[in-house]
Amino acid sequence: MTDTQWPRFQVFHQEQPGRPHTNAGAVHAPDAELAIQNARDVFVRRPDCVSLWVVPADQIFSLTAEEISRSGLPPAPAAEGGLQRYLVFIKRTQVGSHEHAGAVSATSGQAALAEAVSTFGKADGLVWWVVPERLVNRTEADQIGSLFGPAKDKPYRDQAFYHTTTLMRQIRGRPKQEA
Amino acid sequence: MNEAERLAAFEARIHRGEKIEPGDWMPEEYRRQLIRMISQHAHSEIVGMLPEGAWITRAPNLRRKLVLLAKVQDEAGHGQYLYHAAETLGATREEMIEALLSGRAKYSSIFNYPSQSWADMGVIGWFVDGAAILNQTMLARCSYGPYSRANIRISAEESFHMKQGKEQVILMSQGTPGQRTMVQDAVNRWWWPTVMMFGPHDHESPNSPVLIRWGIKTKTNDELRQDFVNQVAPEVLELGLSLPDPDLRYEQASGNWLTGPIDWDEFWRVVKGNGPCNAERIAARRKAHADGEWVREALAAYAERQPTT
Ligand SMILES: [Fe+2]
Ligand SMILES: [Fe+2]
Repeated sequence: MTDTQWPRFQVFHQEQPGRPHTNAGAVHAPDAELAIQNARDVFVRRPDCVSLWVVPADQIFSLTAEEISRSGLPPAPAAEGGLQRYLVFIKRTQVGSHEHAGAVSATSGQAALAEAVSTFGKADGLVWWVVPERLVNRTEADQIGSLFGPAKDKPYRDQAFYHTTTLMRQIRGRPKQEA
Repeated sequence: MNEAERLAAFEARIHRGEKIEPGDWMPEEYRRQLIRMISQHAHSEIVGMLPEGAWITRAPNLRRKLVLLAKVQDEAGHGQYLYHAAETLGATREEMIEALLSGRAKYSSIFNYPSQSWADMGVIGWFVDGAAILNQTMLARCSYGPYSRANIRISAEESFHMKQGKEQVILMSQGTPGQRTMVQDAVNRWWWPTVMMFGPHDHESPNSPVLIRWGIKTKTNDELRQDFVNQVAPEVLELGLSLPDPDLRYEQASGNWLTGPIDWDEFWRVVKGNGPCNAERIAARRKAHADGEWVREALAAYAERQPTT
């Protein structure tokens, strides 16, 4: 059997221009290009997507409020390399997904997490993710039509396409037929 | 903190309505129950494509064909969301798929019944997806964050599945005598299997107490089953169709529609592998997996040429 346990990529989608990218779930793929293709197939069957980002899941540094309350903030490690930019995603509500909040610069993932917590507020964050910006792969403007267009002309995927409530009301209002 | 204090803190979090996220402390039993439930749910979405998939080429017109294709495609997506949710707990996709293909894994017993006519496409949508919506709306409130989010996403997509089916049953029930006979036959065959789909009675459901205690489920099997019967039974009767239960009645005092006794022998027979289509379903999944081997080989060759970042 072929090994298909490809690396996981976390997928972020943007519903409208100007809205933050939010986490949709994950896909497996041999590389980022196919991860975007898989993410489109798995998460974009409906027209509410204008952009996708994928990031390798094993490159995400994660910290939860529960971990902080158990063990405190992770100690800032000694500088491991040059300063680089990390994108920050935060889950802020219990019933919510990770949302792109901004970016920080740091010399390591752990340092970026500490930086993210202090920059974006510890009080209302439940889970923080940071990932080096250079590892974020994004859909390009010239891919938008071919990737997201097919989901736009399928109104029958929307429950409002079916008028079951009206049909039931009409049947109820009809005089009963004699048996 | 020792183990007992950790468990107390964990249960207090659940009691406050907090979601447990990957990275948070959780009891091993919570992880085990979730992997069991989420993987079974994922398998049900995947096997659930088969009874309807068999009718795509026999759709009566292009509109119905597009709708059925879109619905079956959604179920494939639901399976993917759920396998990924189980992966956040340490299960691997290959283990889960291997368990399904080897016949060890369980999935919803409803999909081991055959789809015999086009009217089944209507009744499955209304009954089976309607039942799944009740279950998944509850699971959207689950205490485990990734499973809750997968169910929110699934629930948003399921309404269309239910309504396209209900629309067909309504239209056939008001159609020609032949259509009425066909849809009544489908209702007769799918009613009891759907009522059983919610699982054994609460007092015979060994996992229920711990699932409720830890907020994995917020309603019991019997509560969900009652919601389903209350929702669907009166509307089926309003369409001039009957349900295959001579004891079905409305109870004024409770406001509930009560069914007659459920044939649990049949339920266990199907769960244990001896339903009408168990062997056929697994054989179909194995064939699909084998037929897809060339895609996996092509991806493996591609991955070799293109080292991942
Ligand atoms: Fe589904
Ligand atoms: Fe469905």
